Amino acid sequence: MRALRFLLRLFPKRHREAYGEEMWEVVRYRFERAEGGALRRGWLTMTTVLDLLASAVGEWTRVWRRRKTMRGTGLRLDARFVLRSLVRSPGYTLTAIVVIAAAVAANATVLSFVRGTLLYEPPWSEPDRVVAVWGSNTVDGQLRDVISGPNFIDMERESSTLESMAAFHFGGTAMMVDGRPEAMNALEASVGFLDVLGVTPALGRGFGAAERTSSGPASILVSHAFWRDRMDSDPAAVGSALVLDEVPHTIIGVLPEGFEFVAPAPVLVPLRDDLLAADDRARIHYNVVGRLAAGATAAEATRELTGVFRRLEEEWETVTNWNVLAEPFVQVTVSAVRPVIWTLAGVVGLVLVIALVNLATLFRIRAVSRRDELGVRVALGAGWGRAARVLSLETVTLVLIGSALGLVVTPWILARVTELLPVWIAIPQSAARVPVLRAWLDPALASLGVLVVTGASLLLTLPGVRRTVAGPAMGAGPRVHSGIRGIRLLVGVELALATVLCLGAMLTVRSAHRLLQTEVGLEGRGLLSMWVGDVWEWEKEEQVQYFRDIVEAVERVPGVRTAAVIDYPDFMAEDDYARIYFLDRSLQPQTSQREEWRRVSEGLFETAEMRMALGRSFEADDFRGTPRVAVINESFARKHYRDADPVGEFLSTHNEAYRDLQIVGVVADLRSLGPQSPAPPMLYVPNQGDPRGSQGMYVRVEGDPMSYAEAIREAVWSVDPTQFVAEMAPVSERVESWVAIPRATRTLLSWLAALALSLAAVGVFGVVAFAVRTRRSELGVRLALGASPQRLERDLARAITPVVVMGLVVGLGTGIVGARGARAVLYGVSPLDPLSMAATLFAMVAAAGLATWLPAHRATKIDPAEAMRAE
Amino acid sequence: MDTTRHLPLKPNSYLLMLLLAEEPTYGVSLLERMEERSGGSVRLNAGSLYRLIAQLVDDELVEPHEEVANPLGVGAPRKIYAVTPFGREVLSAEAQRQRELLALAGSLDLLGEG
Repeated sequence: MRALRFLLRLFPKRHREAYGEEMWEVVRYRFERAEGGALRRGWLTMTTVLDLLASAVGEWTRVWRRRKTMRGTGLRLDARFVLRSLVRSPGYTLTAIVVIAAAVAANATVLSFVRGTLLYEPPWSEPDRVVAVWGSNTVDGQLRDVISGPNFIDMERESSTLESMAAFHFGGTAMMVDGRPEAMNALEASVGFLDVLGVTPALGRGFGAAERTSSGPASILVSHAFWRDRMDSDPAAVGSALVLDEVPHTIIGVLPEGFEFVAPAPVLVPLRDDLLAADDRARIHYNVVGRLAAGATAAEATRELTGVFRRLEEEWETVTNWNVLAEPFVQVTVSAVRPVIWTLAGVVGLVLVIALVNLATLFRIRAVSRRDELGVRVALGAGWGRAARVLSLETVTLVLIGSALGLVVTPWILARVTELLPVWIAIPQSAARVPVLRAWLDPALASLGVLVVTGASLLLTLPGVRRTVAGPAMGAGPRVHSGIRGIRLLVGVELALATVLCLGAMLTVRSAHRLLQTEVGLEGRGLLSMWVGDVWEWEKEEQVQYFRDIVEAVERVPGVRTAAVIDYPDFMAEDDYARIYFLDRSLQPQTSQREEWRRVSEGLFETAEMRMALGRSFEADDFRGTPRVAVINESFARKHYRDADPVGEFLSTHNEAYRDLQIVGVVADLRSLGPQSPAPPMLYVPNQGDPRGSQGMYVRVEGDPMSYAEAIREAVWSVDPTQFVAEMAPVSERVESWVAIPRATRTLLSWLAALALSLAAVGVFGVVAFAVRTRRSELGVRLALGASPQRLERDLARAITPVVVMGLVVGLGTGIVGARGARAVLYGVSPLDPLSMAATLFAMVAAAGLATWLPAHRATKIDPAEAMRAE
Repeated sequence: MDTTRHLPLKPNSYLLMLLLAEEPTYGVSLLERMEERSGGSVRLNAGSLYRLIAQLVDDELVEPHEEVANPLGVGAPRKIYAVTPFGREVLSAEAQRQRELLALAGSLDLLGEG
């Protein structure tokens, strides 16, 4: 019987209290009336136990159902209450939504860039095994340089750490479209190229043994985009012919969709092994990639291939001072963008922290200012859970609306930021460039951003609830003041972070300004540059004549002042080295060094408006017969002649057409790799000795350069309609593309600093507005007693002044330490730049001042009578 | 309040309410009368009886009317349950519903002579 009574405890408390005793009476009644033996009693016990158990379960189900219904109604009520209270305080609601939207958008933007660059995996098989192989020059310090054809062939033959290797090079080719040549980018790569990347063509086959030698078939592969757009995805394209540079080529395959290697190229053309091997060993020209053999590392490949070069040095006089560097290919492309992305990520991280601190402040103030109302609800039996639920619901509502807004604007921000970034970015310590990978909004990343903000917001809201709502329900108690002390501290942190960002932005703005002001050494405005001609197969004299003819034809275009050609135009990341022998007076070589050189036509310096520093420029006579003279730049003069006058000195090059040249002039330095890089030493020689089959052309015009585009093309075609004109662009644009990264950094940092400044101002505003709110009656009484509004404003401002001062001091200190660390990225500006510091101080003080004055001034408009009544 | 929400009454609820309408009473007595009036076919145990009562009380069809001291002089006082006025309306509505059904059965000659 006792055990049966215990079963009553299984019922819900309410049921037990209401009916427990009566149930027990019924149980006892049944047992008292029970007739028969033990069997009968056993049966009764069992049915009673089962009945009690089933009834207890039934009662609990009923309780659970009732609670669920009530909770649903409660939630609906709370939601309505939250929405109504949010609409009633539009200032708070809008501020919170904008802050959350800013946090989410900034977060999603930077994560998208991290995803698109640092975390990007190319669509190759095991991309980690693909390495870039560079020649590292131990004398001129160029860590990543290209490699000559024969040296590549020897490395490919001897390497065991790399299971496959390929040399590649981007070249131009021309396809005839409607009777005019259309220039196209062509990726020229040796036969093993697709094996290195582990890519199989979508259609047809890759290059095979047949394509290794120049006697093999003229085969090409086309890109998927070319096949789709230009060949209407015709499955019969494989096997068909495409005429490139007037030679029919057979399309043997179509590359997979989305395949792109370094830069978009519609056609993949084989580099023949025999031609690579027969090339000049001193002509370094090719980029090299390789696939690591199973278990091999890039470091092992570096050691092995450097060993190959040591052996080649013994064998070949022209191979000197070379090491090899093999490094993961993806790492190379990432290394170029990493500093920018990390800087942005760091800055956005700071903005995010500021935004979260701001939200914490806003939520705390909100909780404190709703203390009375929530206190009443708790006093009326709503429970802490209910109060927390109301505040969480409000937070979640704000976060959802704010996040939605943030995610709606993120693609727009991404597009703007992408526009700011350059298409190309230079690989450090090399003349090579890689395309900047684009960013896209990844849903997973976007959700991550929202989750972070939601989680952080809830964490920031909830712990304060109980403490804030506790205490005497009505009126301001001491707890309010301890609450506001915490908030003030948060605002101080926020101000400090905003100061750091502002100082960073100011320094970057000044640095970018200096950079943009830097003279590059030519006048880029009104100057066009482009590639012209493809006459490699012609006789030298014919080539020289062809380029003279097109220069004359272009100069006849009305509005064109002058034109000239140069083998490699500037600002296009091209380089070309010559071995230079310095001669004594008896023309005996003394020393030799590898330096950049350019073969130019008459009038190049005049067309580009490059200033002569010493001696004379080239004259018409210099372009007749064998070249006898040379012009060097200031950097070359400084490096090789120091204080001596180089004019009149003699030098020779490795190229037989350029021997015993007398220096006739020194031209001002040209920062051909952008304003931030010093001008490389450069030798200029007349181009008739050994012209290049394709050249850069500079055209100086009056007015808008691009308006001459069509006329210039027609002029070139008037000489030979089969020759192409490609990549025509104003030189000023090319120069700017080199400063795009600092400029983009400047713009982005300025935006983010402005955002941080506004957020910090919102924080200050919140604290003062809160002080006004909690001291409303006191302020009312003082006004009624005749206190001057200015006095009240000063008093209220005093509440925030120490915080502002502390924030500024800590922020400036941290900013200066940070700027010293980032000295390397500052151009021509000291980390202690007084102007930047003054501007930062001014901006911060102005923002904090305005944010203090607005609510304080409003406080002086309080109606004393109303303020008293409210209490 | 809407009576139809409670219709049709479950047989046990109907019987219990009819008995309470006849005479308000306490649990054990109600149990005895239910057994007696149903000819022994309704034999509830403690748990089931009080789940039934709790449900009817929650639905405001039945209420603890008054408390009387336990005649044994020990234990908690006995609660006397009675049908509420709303409970009466529901009973009446249920009876009406049954009358209509009976009339239908009668018209089909299903009720016999009895």
